[in-house]
Amino acid sequence: MAWITKDSATQQIERRDEPYLSDEMTSYYTDSILPRYANKRAALLPILHDVQHHVGYLPFQALEEIATFLELTAAEVLDTASFYDDFFLEPVGKHVIGVCQSIACEACGHETMLGHLCSKLNIEPGETTPDGLFTVRTMECLGSCDTAPCALFGEERQDDLTVEKIDALIDKLSGDA
Amino acid sequence: MPMTEPVLTKRIPTYPYGDPKDRHAVWYDEYVKTGGYEALAAALEKEPAAIVDTVKDSNLRGRGGAGFPCGLKWTFLPKDYEGQRYLAVNSDESEPCTFKDRMLLDFDPHQLLEGIAITCWACGLQTAYIYIRGEYHEQAVTVQKAIDEAYKNGVFGKQGLMKGKVDFAVDCYLHRGAGAYVCGEETGLLESLEGKRGWPRIKPPFPAVAGLFGKPTIINNVETLACVPHIVQHGSEWFKSLGCESTIGGPPSYGTKLMGVSGHVNRPGVYECDLGFSLRTLIDEYCQGMKGGKKLKAIIPGGISMGVLTADQVDAELDFDIGRKNDLLGLGTACPTVLDEDTDMIMVARNITRFFKNESCGQCTPCREGSGWIYKILCRIEEGEGTTRDLDLLLEIAGSMGAMPGTTICGLADGNNWAVRTIINKFRDEFEARVKPSLVPVTMSV
Repeated sequence: MAWITKDSATQQIERRDEPYLSDEMTSYYTDSILPRYANKRAALLPILHDVQHHVGYLPFQALEEIATFLELTAAEVLDTASFYDDFFLEPVGKHVIGVCQSIACEACGHETMLGHLCSKLNIEPGETTPDGLFTVRTMECLGSCDTAPCALFGEERQDDLTVEKIDALIDKLSGDA
Repeated sequence: MPMTEPVLTKRIPTYPYGDPKDRHAVWYDEYVKTGGYEALAAALEKEPAAIVDTVKDSNLRGRGGAGFPCGLKWTFLPKDYEGQRYLAVNSDESEPCTFKDRMLLDFDPHQLLEGIAITCWACGLQTAYIYIRGEYHEQAVTVQKAIDEAYKNGVFGKQGLMKGKVDFAVDCYLHRGAGAYVCGEETGLLESLEGKRGWPRIKPPFPAVAGLFGKPTIINNVETLACVPHIVQHGSEWFKSLGCESTIGGPPSYGTKLMGVSGHVNRPGVYECDLGFSLRTLIDEYCQGMKGGKKLKAIIPGGISMGVLTADQVDAELDFDIGRKNDLLGLGTACPTVLDEDTDMIMVARNITRFFKNESCGQCTPCREGSGWIYKILCRIEEGEGTTRDLDLLLEIAGSMGAMPGTTICGLADGNNWAVRTIINKFRDEFEARVKPSLVPVTMSV
């Protein structure tokens, strides 16, 4: 969270011709998400979640399109998107593994698990494997302290991790690819 | 009178009343078959003001950490206000060590929805948003399915509550957060709901007067709302027969409480106990003692913000008096994390501070900068590079940040302050053994 500094003035935004927000997506937002809220801006988090679900991350062009759609400035959308840890502003691997590093997990062996995961995939936390399959990140408490150490593999929480369990999960996900 | 049967965990098998292996998500049909939505039906027979009075009389205190009386909060809504009002349900359960609400969301989501419906009727709130933390992917799916079921069966929707039994319609939506602890702070939550960064607001105005979209808003925790149907159904006297009175002249701690135990115990998990339950019994009997027969060293009693208890304080009673009796910030979420003799308390302090450093929203300087500096100093001490002077520096920084000294907007810095101060004060020997003595220049005059 906290503060990100970037070279906004000189930054080149990568663009593609096809818009990220398809007609299908915008009509879904108009029919199902916007009516829930008193103003358009409140629909921003659900829409960011949905776009990230479709694209994998939030490219700047998509943020601009969302801004136009919600009648906001691009800066307002970026302001919100950059605040939350779960919104990725840069490409991530196909499978994002978030290892919990909070106190119950650290007391119950999170370091061994994270170390094993990183050495197996040969990356550091925050990095993506060269084949674009896995990203490993550390996360704060996942709300499953009774099953520490735990991690999120994509959207699925894996409890009571062991070295063997991690090996099996990585092998399975590598095989699926 | 101690509890004899589970209340909140009636449909969620929990030791010692049932086996967690039998847990499954309870959907609408099963919920209704086991007495669900009877409290809502009873509530709709009553005047809304009478329900507020019952909850106020029950002395139900918020289960989200602060322990603010729920019924009193409801009375802060402006009277004679005709327009839109909101309920924001706080399921942004992000405090490390806390995982009690997750169990309610996982297995008995309709209990929460019934509480929401009753609260909306009692307080005249037309729209409820369940703000669920981004990391709870599976729980979001479960709750959304339960909301869809509730709409299909006429609990919510434009026809009026309970298939139009009353001419008052309530809408209920799920809103997912995206990984920010500070959005569990009530005004940070509102900002996040409005699609902004989760920066807590300066109060007043309080949310009950000007909250979500500037309208009167009530914000309650999941467990608090789950208590509401039981209070409406069985009455405030029944609720007051559970839990305990204060022994130090404070407000009472009535009702049962979900307590999620984690760390070095044989059987971690969520248990339901009376407020005032002995921490020792919880660890020794419910959790079957320390893992590997190790000795107890410290307990983080209710989320990391509250501070720590030493092994000598294991006889503490888990009620709202615990803070004043044991030099803690308070009961918090009543989810103890138990640490054994091999735990490095400097690691604990460093881990906790890293959390606050990462999760500080950056709005107030003492919190943003203070947490960063405390983290750096603790890392230095952990690596054996600290000096005695660093300990005093830590206490000074910690003691000067937080809403209580009046330097920050929300309580996040208080959490950091209490955790660091109590750990250093209660385990000072361990810290002193790790640091090098500060060299003081001595001048001699002959």
